[in-house]
Amino acid sequence: MKIYVCVKHVPDSAATITVKDKAEIEEGITFLMNPYDEHAVTEARRLKERFLESEVIVVCFSRPEAEGTLRSALAMGGDRGILVTTGHRHDPIMTARALKTAIAQDGQPDLILTGRESIDSEGMQTMFRLAHLFNMPAATNVVKIEITGNNALATCEKEAGAREILKLGMPCVLAAGKGLNIPRYPTFPDIVKARKKEINIIDVEKLDIPEPTSRVERVHLTPVVEKRIPKEITGTTTSIAEQIVTILKDEARVI
Amino acid sequence: MNKAYDAIIVGAGVIGAPITYELSKKGYKTLSVDKRADAGEGSTAGSCAIVRAHYSTEDGVAFAYEGFKYWLDWENYLDHVVDEKGLARYMNTGSILLKSQGHKWQDVKKHYDAVGVKYEEWDNDKIVEQVPVLDLHEFWPVRRPEDPTFFDDPEKELEGGLFCPEGGYVNDPTLSAHNIMRAAEAKGAEFLFNAEVADIRSDGGKVQGITLADGTQIDAPVVVNCAGPHSYKINQMAEGVWEGCNIKTKALRHEVMYCPSPEDYDYIHDGYHQSDGDIGCYVRPESGNMFLIGSEDPDCDPQEWVDPDEFYAGRGGHGRDNQLTEEQWKAQCYRLGRRIPTLQVPNQPKGVVDLYDCSDDWIPVYDKSDLGGFYMAIGTSGNQYKNAPVVGAMMADLIDACEKGLNHDKEPFQFSMKYTGRNLDVGFFSRKREINYNSSFSVNG
Repeated sequence: MKIYVCVKHVPDSAATITVKDKAEIEEGITFLMNPYDEHAVTEARRLKERFLESEVIVVCFSRPEAEGTLRSALAMGGDRGILVTTGHRHDPIMTARALKTAIAQDGQPDLILTGRESIDSEGMQTMFRLAHLFNMPAATNVVKIEITGNNALATCEKEAGAREILKLGMPCVLAAGKGLNIPRYPTFPDIVKARKKEINIIDVEKLDIPEPTSRVERVHLTPVVEKRIPKEITGTTTSIAEQIVTILKDEARVI
Repeated sequence: MNKAYDAIIVGAGVIGAPITYELSKKGYKTLSVDKRADAGEGSTAGSCAIVRAHYSTEDGVAFAYEGFKYWLDWENYLDHVVDEKGLARYMNTGSILLKSQGHKWQDVKKHYDAVGVKYEEWDNDKIVEQVPVLDLHEFWPVRRPEDPTFFDDPEKELEGGLFCPEGGYVNDPTLSAHNIMRAAEAKGAEFLFNAEVADIRSDGGKVQGITLADGTQIDAPVVVNCAGPHSYKINQMAEGVWEGCNIKTKALRHEVMYCPSPEDYDYIHDGYHQSDGDIGCYVRPESGNMFLIGSEDPDCDPQEWVDPDEFYAGRGGHGRDNQLTEEQWKAQCYRLGRRIPTLQVPNQPKGVVDLYDCSDDWIPVYDKSDLGGFYMAIGTSGNQYKNAPVVGAMMADLIDACEKGLNHDKEPFQFSMKYTGRNLDVGFFSRKREINYNSSFSVNG
């Protein structure tokens, strides 16, 4: 099985983001692999353990600095990488075209894995556009993957808390949700091995990508200043614990 | 009329709070001022709060060993005060010093013998029996991952270590300062927060008091500088003090990382504090079964001396502001990853960036100054947390003796340590000293 995993080079969510030129972010901060993509890479590695003949190819469309992110993905289990380089930011239409062209030029995918969204643009478009360009079925927020014959059974988590199991003919595009697995981060021996793995670096200008007739352009970016309003929780220890659980469940919706 | 006290202590961190506590016990009417909102919220909050005995000098070892006794007897030290936030806990994990070229461990062993520190010599088999995740190859010299030789295969093995059954860390450094504040208040001390010192007033070579940024003047014949990374700025406000110091202090940026322990190793319960000069790291357990990875400042790492106000405001840019850097995250985690080959290193850096108040030779200045009534407990360099309660007792004795007429510069004060029974020549910490080349010039002290 040939598994392609698309990863994005994004700003560290813990970094202090400052906006420059109205619509761009100051880039002198830490960039790393999009956290959802870590689940996709981990799943590819897991599938390779089941289907031993598989190859995991990690693909990224970004600035040349993204080689570090690709190297991280190789340390997490990718066999080799493809980095399509560009000097500036692109919309999801162009991103999907670049990824599609690079993958198609490389080989015949049996499965394409992505994250369900990127934490910087949160567009949730690229994987659907990529699937469309390949004429493949797609599913998002996938929390479980089973491969049976020529089909993939994908358990997807819905916003309302429901789960559905979808059967997709392969090849297909599956977008990883957080529940898919616990990311398997690299150990030092993994990092040493990844240093020797091949990364094919291609300038986007060298790929014959059809020019889109329309595009999305970000004209303005404004950081939302979050207000923190502290609230004191009082009562007995039991009552405080109950109130915290209620807040985590109903307000923060994290449990 | 200005409010008046017997002593004003600038800084309510883990160094300032115990000095206040001990002065209050001696009957001084004290006021502690701090620009932060509560005790221990400055650089104390970023301390790894390690408690260990290995230092590069015999006095350093004795001083630290004296400190252990305070942490082991915390409630008694605090005179059983009630703190509504609870008490900080000393976690006596035991401490391993790996024998390596990165430490003068032979000297440490000699000092342990001289002071009477309890320790055992462990060979590699014994260490691996206790810490099964370790690979005890020698990786010396310490390098950075940007250097291709960082990845070279090791050839030799380390040769065991020194294990101290006493040693570990305090689980919440901020809380420990808060505990001491409550204990001091019980003896009559007052604390003023959100109060930034703008001037140290003096007249005729004697300190008169302080002026706050809002213009408030407070008087006292004694002012003690415990301002941590801001110590040099406070010294510069006091007439002739900064100029009169042969040893100066500066603020050094420092990063500490949190990396999850390998899944099959219960580090938080089974782990030790470990000093590993061979990879330039020290580690201790952190909640969530994490490894807290500190750096021992190897020569290959950059040193960023910063303005503390700029730093805490998040200014200065990459590698100078208060954000972790990917390069240092990789350096510290990969170094530990060599020692622990099953350690998984996440892509996202997690940890703490804070400042050391660092002296020219990394040994603190506990001294009077060239301005009458102005004292300093500064340059605590990331290695004095464990000594803080002893520093409190020593500084209070020193201040009291000087205020009663002792000429400390001529006849250095001898501090009597009540647990180890040793005398410490406080002149060792003099501002007038020449740089002490026996120092490790690092966090190790």
